[in-house]
Amino acid sequence: MLELKAVSRRYGDVVALDGVSFSVEQGEMRGLVGRNGAGKTTTMRIVLGLVEPDGGEVRLHGSAIDALARRRIGYMPEERGLYPKMRVSDQLVFFGRLSGMTAGDAAAAAVRWVERLGVADRAGDRVDELSLGNQQRVQLAAALVHGPELLVLDEPFSGLDPVGVDVLAAVLREEADRGAAIVFSSHQLELVEHLCDAVTILDRGRVVADGRIDDLRRRHGGRRLLVDVRGAPDGWVEAAGLVGVTVVGADEDGVVLQLADEADTQAVLDAARTAGRLEAFTPQSPTLAELFREVVQA
Amino acid sequence: MNGAGMTARDAVRLVIRRELTERTRQRAFVISTGVTLLIVLAIAIVPGLFGGDGPKKFDVGVVGPAGSPLAEALPRVDLGARTEVHTRPVADRAEAERLVEAGDVDAAVDGDTVIVKKNLDRDLEALVQLANRDVRAQQALAAAGVSGAEAAAITDPPPLRTAAIKPPDRTHDDRRALVTIGVFFVFGQIFGYGFAVASSVVEEKSSRVVELLLAKIGPGQLLTGKIVGVGVLGLAQLVLYMVVGLAAASVTGAIDLPPGVAGAFVLVLGWFLLGFAVYSALFAMAGAVASRAEELQNTTSPITFLIMAGYFGTFAAIGDPSGAMARVMSWVPFWSPLVMPIRMASGDVPVWEAVAVVVVVLATVVVVVRLAARVYSGGALRTRGRIKLKEALAAGS
Repeated sequence: MLELKAVSRRYGDVVALDGVSFSVEQGEMRGLVGRNGAGKTTTMRIVLGLVEPDGGEVRLHGSAIDALARRRIGYMPEERGLYPKMRVSDQLVFFGRLSGMTAGDAAAAAVRWVERLGVADRAGDRVDELSLGNQQRVQLAAALVHGPELLVLDEPFSGLDPVGVDVLAAVLREEADRGAAIVFSSHQLELVEHLCDAVTILDRGRVVADGRIDDLRRRHGGRRLLVDVRGAPDGWVEAAGLVGVTVVGADEDGVVLQLADEADTQAVLDAARTAGRLEAFTPQSPTLAELFREVVQA
Repeated sequence: MNGAGMTARDAVRLVIRRELTERTRQRAFVISTGVTLLIVLAIAIVPGLFGGDGPKKFDVGVVGPAGSPLAEALPRVDLGARTEVHTRPVADRAEAERLVEAGDVDAAVDGDTVIVKKNLDRDLEALVQLANRDVRAQQALAAAGVSGAEAAAITDPPPLRTAAIKPPDRTHDDRRALVTIGVFFVFGQIFGYGFAVASSVVEEKSSRVVELLLAKIGPGQLLTGKIVGVGVLGLAQLVLYMVVGLAAASVTGAIDLPPGVAGAFVLVLGWFLLGFAVYSALFAMAGAVASRAEELQNTTSPITFLIMAGYFGTFAAIGDPSGAMARVMSWVPFWSPLVMPIRMASGDVPVWEAVAVVVVVLATVVVVVRLAARVYSGGALRTRGRIKLKEALAAGS
């Protein structure tokens, strides 16, 4: 649905984005992760037309994105912002109408969203009278009020309490099930791993990893094995002289082995059985955080 | 999917509506409108109460018995209905001097002498002399045996008529007075509502809501909607002040509603619109290069200076509408909206000049609005720190 092709942007001498390509499909939830300054916000701003790319293109449903199409995107900027003196429901109706809704539809949607996000009792209050957490809920409602087919959310989970995180996660899940394409940035990698189908990892303006999280684990994590051998002497792995096998972790559950391409799993198994009573011999996939550290240079 | 039918004009209209509803809802707006209306009412009503130009009244003592010829003649004379004389009989000179001294009468006549405290009022002098001449003439005519219609033909001839070559134009004078007052309100509205545009721009920046807005609509649409919305409110308020002021003034009789009212209205409102167009665009730039309300003081100061200079120019124009100062200032597009209506109301501006100045101002509007749109689109998303005008221009599109 949304497709970025070789998008580049520089600010003076600083290269913010260097040939960024990825896509988000209908019903898919994609995490955009990267360190501060990696280019996440610039990427989103380019999708929304707030920043002009120097090169590359953004396509929606196969054709170049334009102002009219952008109005249908639900956007939550990194810098939260609403009219402080405007009432919550008026504000949601205003943004709904700016996205092309009729007055009646916008009013109905505003009611629906303040209820869904638990701020119905504050609908008549001015935004600056709300707590920060409630302001964030209204901000989310402003992004969702027009029933967008694409959601672009910059750090939507930051600043939320655990209950807020759960509410937001559930809402995003519903939106994806409804068929919306969702891309959001976050530093909370466990959350991204838990919620997202796919992830794009940015580093210094480049895509360093992109795809379904399962595939990435297989591709980037290499082969890892958790081997638990009861009664084995310390250093049994090294003593076995296995080719292409290194110990990357050890605790009471056993040792974690990293297997290079030339390593022979059968040989590892034989060595383990020789060393003692084999309790566990489990392939292990890396977490997103481990993956992230591997592909992003410190 | 929603949004297909949304046009640029719809977006502008939504922004206008938001400005109007949110502004009129603010308590500060309601209060300031009310206070200004009270001031307008005061200006309109008070002169009618105190500035009444009734006839000048004099009390004159006449020494002698009641009903003396002079005492009879004095109340009959007047100076074009501007004066009114009451007489009272006075016993003798000593009594007359006592009354004058005490201020009970303005003057007393004793035979061939007018007794006053210090000076004889010039109007009263004319009246007394006129009455005296009248009485003496009557007496002389009676002595000569002339009486009745013959005597009246001599002492009370038909008055001379006036034939003015350039008769005064009341319509014109009233219009000039109305426009003069109107221009001060125009100044207030342009300044106040221009500044409102600047603070509205900076409010969206400092609250960061501008990013959400610009993700939906273009900077040109947002700026247009904002300027039109604020301007419509300023115009409506100006019309309200003028209508209430004129209505109150005509009820209390401070002015009669002359045929010139319509012309004055058009002049004032038309020049307000032109002036607001120029200044709101300038103020929008001042807002776009600031990021917090506190910085507006700084970024708007050149504009404040410019409009204040025009404001002082109006005094020059009121003093001498056809003077060199007023003529020159009325051609400077930032000042024409304040100086030109006064010159035009005083009636010495040829049509070609009025049209030419309007064209100059309109051309300036086009240039300034384009510049403002560029600065705005370059500065709107820079929400941190003051931006150099040059940078905003370079970043804008």
